[in-house]
Amino acid sequence: MSTDSSTIQSPASAASISNVNALFQNAKKYEELNVIGTGAYGTVYKARDLHNDGHIVAMKKVKVALTEDGIPLSTVREIALLRQLEAYRHPNIVRLLDVCHGGQPMDRDQQLVLFLVFEHVEQDLDSFLKRAPGPLSENRIRCMSHDILSGIDFLHSHRIVHRDLKPHNLLVTSAGRVKLADFGLAKTYDTEMKLTSVVVTLWYRPPEVLLGASYNTAVDVWSCGCVLAELHTRAPLLPASSDSEQLHAIFRLIGRPPRYEWPDSVSIMRDSFPDYPPKDLAYVIPNAHPHALDLIKRMLVFDPAKRLTALDCLEHPYFTDEPIS
Amino acid sequence: MPYWYYDKKDLQNTPSFRDGINNDTENRYRKEGARFIIDTGSKMDLGYNTVATGVVYFHRFYMFHSFRTFPRYITACCCLFLAGKVEETPKKCKDIIKVAKSLLNEEKFNTFGEDPKEEVMTLERILLQTIKFDLQVEHPYSYLLKYAKCLKGDKTKLQKMVQMAWTFVNDSLCTTLCLQWEPEVIAVALMFLAGKLSKFEVVDWNGRAPKHNAWWDMFVEDITMELLEDICHQVLDLYSIQTQPSGGESPPLPPAPKPPKNEKKPPVTPPISASPAAPAKTPVKNGAEFYPYAPPPVAYTAPPPRLPPPPRLPMGLVYDAPPARFVASVPPPPLVPPPFLRARSPASSPPILSAAVIAIHCSDCVKVFSLCELRVTKPGRSQSFY
Repeated sequence: MSTDSSTIQSPASAASISNVNALFQNAKKYEELNVIGTGAYGTVYKARDLHNDGHIVAMKKVKVALTEDGIPLSTVREIALLRQLEAYRHPNIVRLLDVCHGGQPMDRDQQLVLFLVFEHVEQDLDSFLKRAPGPLSENRIRCMSHDILSGIDFLHSHRIVHRDLKPHNLLVTSAGRVKLADFGLAKTYDTEMKLTSVVVTLWYRPPEVLLGASYNTAVDVWSCGCVLAELHTRAPLLPASSDSEQLHAIFRLIGRPPRYEWPDSVSIMRDSFPDYPPKDLAYVIPNAHPHALDLIKRMLVFDPAKRLTALDCLEHPYFTDEPIS
Repeated sequence: MPYWYYDKKDLQNTPSFRDGINNDTENRYRKEGARFIIDTGSKMDLGYNTVATGVVYFHRFYMFHSFRTFPRYITACCCLFLAGKVEETPKKCKDIIKVAKSLLNEEKFNTFGEDPKEEVMTLERILLQTIKFDLQVEHPYSYLLKYAKCLKGDKTKLQKMVQMAWTFVNDSLCTTLCLQWEPEVIAVALMFLAGKLSKFEVVDWNGRAPKHNAWWDMFVEDITMELLEDICHQVLDLYSIQTQPSGGESPPLPPAPKPPKNEKKPPVTPPISASPAAPAKTPVKNGAEFYPYAPPPVAYTAPPPRLPPPPRLPMGLVYDAPPARFVASVPPPPLVPPPFLRARSPASSPPILSAAVIAIHCSDCVKVFSLCELRVTKPGRSQSFY
């Protein structure tokens, strides 16, 4: 009897490990419905959670290049962090419901498909603003601004930089609350990005990124400043179609920065830009509350070190003078 | 979000159990797998967090899969490999396999298949899916240190107590406690146990409030004596009789495996060996005497012989069945002692004895002994030890 078990086991276990695909096919949990969006980093599908009454979810497919040592450390770290964040269930962060993968790498091409399953939120801020019949009420704007900044502050307090904040990544729930999406896989994306050539929007990019200087959490505050302006005007604040045009657009708004603020390490010369004077935000964003204008102005500061932090923003009189309803 | 805590019924009705492996055998597999992760991790200088994370993955994995399907030592390697990435202490897969090979006998290593690295790679994906990418795991260690900071009393005694609790936490990895209780609760229970055994009674602590009956009420609500006792016994069970599985029920490996070398007898090579009689002081091989927690004797400045291609370090205490006789063998050094303890050790810190062995040195052997006895004969847990 004992000899039996020892002879049978080895082949049995070897077979079960190599037959991973069978293992995962049994566990098919989601049915893809249609594509919601295609980004530089992967495709987002609307899908049905078959294990949960066909509940609708948003499923993001991310391809990860496997290394000699399996799944890259950066990807493992980032997913671990996303999972850990989920424990806080922050109201302004989109829920991450599940993470799974497609089993065996396809065709031995050493890529693994990861599925990140998020709660499905019907619309994003981009379509919300396009569909809005008229200007948003002052209270609505203030409320949404507060939501966005709370989400950013939460990410920053967990050492996550979003890096790509834009209306498209801000989801608006049916109750009108805003949730941040599409963050936390920066390094995973970076390695994947080298393989794609999808154009990403520049409109919300801060000058330090456009100049190729080092950057930190302040990048998100800049992007958020652009979004806050857009909540008022329902049009992008700084639309441009190339890196250089984007920088010109920025300096036309905030003025060309003084020489001493220009970063040392960049190849782009300050002198290649005309000496634009700063514009008065009140003309660019008409009908905005003076506190809102002051806040946005302090978010759109050239020097990242002088920009408000997300927490500073939340303590700005714009939010503290009257309670948020 | 996945939920990783199970009650005792779930822990008995596991995939392995349903696959025909009895609970005792499964627990032995778990213990061996965990111990193997600890040994491999220690040999590769991985920190205690990485090792503990790997062990938690291991225990969680077998709540979904059977030991018959996935042999334990390769799963253990994979868990340590993934934990290394998560804790940002990555080790190359081939290096882990190399160390594993050095620690396992040929028969066990054969379960790794023809291409061990490829097997681990495949297993990594299965592991990730099984643990649902829930990779960040908390351990009792950080709570242990946090709680210790609040306790008042004799500093030396407190340090002894924390050191002992730390070792209990290490050993607790070989149990399924991490599948039953949050790390906070385990930390409290094992500090409580260490306090009892080292005779350090906590009478006052920072932040004490009138509503607190014990120091832990400050950190965790609703901890009952019954619960503490249960947790302590689960750890103490490790030091009691090891049940030998009956032949045919040992699926992944040949039945009734010979114990890994050194498991039953005091190792020959490590610097410290203990005689089976568990004397009050453990003689050091070179003749000097070593008191585990007292400041190291002057004579002990020479670094202890570096553990040569280390034999597997066995558990802290092993009961030699059936004549229940204490065998104090050299336990593994704590993965990393708390910083303050570390600072006190000589440059090449001598191995630190496991808590249970210390208990003997604290002339508490009768107590530990009776505890184990109590567990062996199972007269019921009403026989409280405090």
